[in-house]
Amino acid sequence: MRNFSISSSLLKIVFSKLALVAAFGTVALTSLTGCGNTGASYEPDTFRINLQAEPPSLDWQTSTDSTSFDVVSNIMTGLTMYNNDMKCEPGCAESWEILDGGKHYVFHLRKNALWTDGKPVTAHDFEYAWKRLLDPSTAASYAFFLYDIENAFEFNSGKVKDPNLIGAKALDDWTFSVKLKRPAAYFLYLTAFCSTCPLRKDIVDKFGDRWTEPQNIVTNGPFSVSLWKHEYKIELTSNPKFFEGEPRLKRIKMFMIPEQATAFGLFENNQLDYVDNRSFPTADVESLRSSPMYRNLPLLRCSYLGFNVKKKPFDDKRVRKAISMAVDRTLFPKILRRGEAPAFTWIPPALEGYSEISKSEFNPEAARKLLAQAGYPNGKGFPLTKILYPQREDAKLVVESVQEQIKKNLNVKLQLEVNEWKVYLDILHRDPPQMFRQTWGADYPDPETFMNVFTTHNGNNYTQWSNAHYDDLIDRAAAEQDQKKRAAMYAEGDQMLCQDEVPIVPLYWATQNTMVKPWVKGIGFNAMDLQFFRKVYIEKP
Amino acid sequence: MLALLIKRMLTAIPVLLVVATLTFFLMRLVPGGPFDADKNLPPAIVANLNAKYQLDKPVAQQYVTYLSRVVRGDLGISYKYLNRTVRDILGEAMPVSIQLGFTALVLAVLIGVPLGTIAAVNRGSWIDVTAMFLSTAGISVPGFVIGAFLIFIFGVWLKVLPVALWETPWHMVLPSLTLAFSPAAYLARLTRASVLEVLEKDWVRTARSKGLSRWATVMKHTLRNALVPVVTVLGPLTAILITGSFVVEYLYAIPGMGRFFVTAVTNRDYDLIMGTTLVFAALLIVTNAIVDVAYQILDPRMKVEG
Repeated sequence: MRNFSISSSLLKIVFSKLALVAAFGTVALTSLTGCGNTGASYEPDTFRINLQAEPPSLDWQTSTDSTSFDVVSNIMTGLTMYNNDMKCEPGCAESWEILDGGKHYVFHLRKNALWTDGKPVTAHDFEYAWKRLLDPSTAASYAFFLYDIENAFEFNSGKVKDPNLIGAKALDDWTFSVKLKRPAAYFLYLTAFCSTCPLRKDIVDKFGDRWTEPQNIVTNGPFSVSLWKHEYKIELTSNPKFFEGEPRLKRIKMFMIPEQATAFGLFENNQLDYVDNRSFPTADVESLRSSPMYRNLPLLRCSYLGFNVKKKPFDDKRVRKAISMAVDRTLFPKILRRGEAPAFTWIPPALEGYSEISKSEFNPEAARKLLAQAGYPNGKGFPLTKILYPQREDAKLVVESVQEQIKKNLNVKLQLEVNEWKVYLDILHRDPPQMFRQTWGADYPDPETFMNVFTTHNGNNYTQWSNAHYDDLIDRAAAEQDQKKRAAMYAEGDQMLCQDEVPIVPLYWATQNTMVKPWVKGIGFNAMDLQFFRKVYIEKP
Repeated sequence: MLALLIKRMLTAIPVLLVVATLTFFLMRLVPGGPFDADKNLPPAIVANLNAKYQLDKPVAQQYVTYLSRVVRGDLGISYKYLNRTVRDILGEAMPVSIQLGFTALVLAVLIGVPLGTIAAVNRGSWIDVTAMFLSTAGISVPGFVIGAFLIFIFGVWLKVLPVALWETPWHMVLPSLTLAFSPAAYLARLTRASVLEVLEKDWVRTARSKGLSRWATVMKHTLRNALVPVVTVLGPLTAILITGSFVVEYLYAIPGMGRFFVTAVTNRDYDLIMGTTLVFAALLIVTNAIVDVAYQILDPRMKVEG
């Protein structure tokens, strides 16, 4: 069969035809579609960003993830709103009174806050929303945000059946009263959070589970949802009825591009105006740092190592302290390369209660002495110890560095145990191992959100560490209305965590890396990583 | 032929039942649940969630409830994408995957079969060596590498095709090429081997000795017989391609169904895992039945007993 061959002249013809087709195709594609967008830059009055993933829900009462909140933050307004300094500004409430030593809040609603269908936002919309959030049948994960309110926990856990006993009531259309079980100094922050935004009973009743679809949803924020192509794109358009006035930006296109390199390619081709960590391959950050479009800011999210203090050898606080003192936190930013800040305390420097005295120190010599006192001179006889971490590149780099440092500084060999994310969480929930790498991000910009984690009954306290004095201190600090006293109480708690008892080793503060096209103006950033676009506008370059 | 199709459809029922049962219990064995999240929830809230989604019932009861819903055409709800049913999710994603998958399938056949035939006809020549080198590369190089390469060349460097997204027909070019690459390579190898085998047959020699030209021999007497193994793989290949590719959809930001084969598992989105698995199994059964019918058309000797 070898004589079956195509003559070389025929091949030449085929290839020359192919070359022609390719050349023609290239010209045609470029001229007809402009799809490569060689000349494209900005889209007038349109802001294009990458959400990376589908928001699991636009029901602000059942969503719990940052992707959904990125959308909700721009379509909804609560009683108050955050500014980029993370202070609460008037939102639907134009003023409020704090009575009864911080146990009673009365919010006075503005009369020009309207829903997108033109109806006014009333106190009844808040009462309905908060009761729905707490209703066990809603099964809202963030219902616990309102547990400080009278009978809220009891209703949510089924101990109280009558929703009218909950201490949140509309006194009339424009007055909303909230009674707490005890003063909570951070309570105002919760009124700016997406989960506590108002909701229209008539809309939920009419459309049932479909009320969040663009054709049904009614909102009250600066933008409204005009298109939701699931798994692909959400489009928001400016709301002319917004009480601050219609935003200058007419449209926000929020794409769901999962692959970072693809999203960054689109940014480079001017098809996205803004990218952040979700669209940034780590390797690129170093090279982009000098760009005028690049910005980096610290976030209220800490990575830490936790010890299970019920398991040997970490039932001895000298061992925990020795590990903490043998870890050089300044190495992590060099390994992770996203501009992270080393964490020496549990309370971040941006919050009240942060104190230099709480700082853990890197001192391998002292660490070795402590370890010897605990019965492990030069690491001799140290039990087999595993560090559990989830399958993520940053977690892997961090625990590998810790493993290497502990070997070098204490002559102790730690074993690494990686698990798929949900398996990792399952192990943490059921039987936390001796050591684990975990993160915590603030729910609101207050030290309470950090300090409460390590109280005895907090479900996120995987360390099993329990200290009555600490519990009492954090409980009192939450209610303390004097800011100075409160800060001092948190500083004392932080010192217990980082220096005295050491159930955890804070490692580093995460940062947000962003690139913004020069035609985007008015964009702000905040440490909670909440994306507010009501003041953004596009200016012709 | 009708009897064959009816038989295939009837055997599909126990097959789907076994698939559903195995998947249901396997996914429950995997540690972690749909509501395990970075932040652990208070027990009262976990209890509310489990009650809402009936995960507080014994697994056997959940299984019976699930099956009774599935036979009524209710594939359940997503635990991750709240307020959306599995039917909604797959109903929106499948048309995209089918569109992309069929384009890739056509491309794969149009590239793979001629390439394999030319290689076989020119066995041992540089054409054969080049074609087989290309097909070996196509099989060995992973899709994300090919995709990234194509994005870089045509999207970022030459800027003649879109980097990603799903807006115009031009947006289909790079993803369908990426998706077609590996199956085209596989089809080329398969076609080559099959054509070579048929070319050795006596009737081909007879045709040649009667003075028929070599390409006429290939086209009239060889290809039809050589295509039987190719058609065999086209069944599962079609099912695989039209249910989407995680890699291609991920890379090009395409809202297809391929991503759910991975993300439904990582999210422990139980009903969505079941939904994607059952849809894939059903498609596999349908495409295999079509292959059986195609056999009979290609080679009447291959009557499958009813």
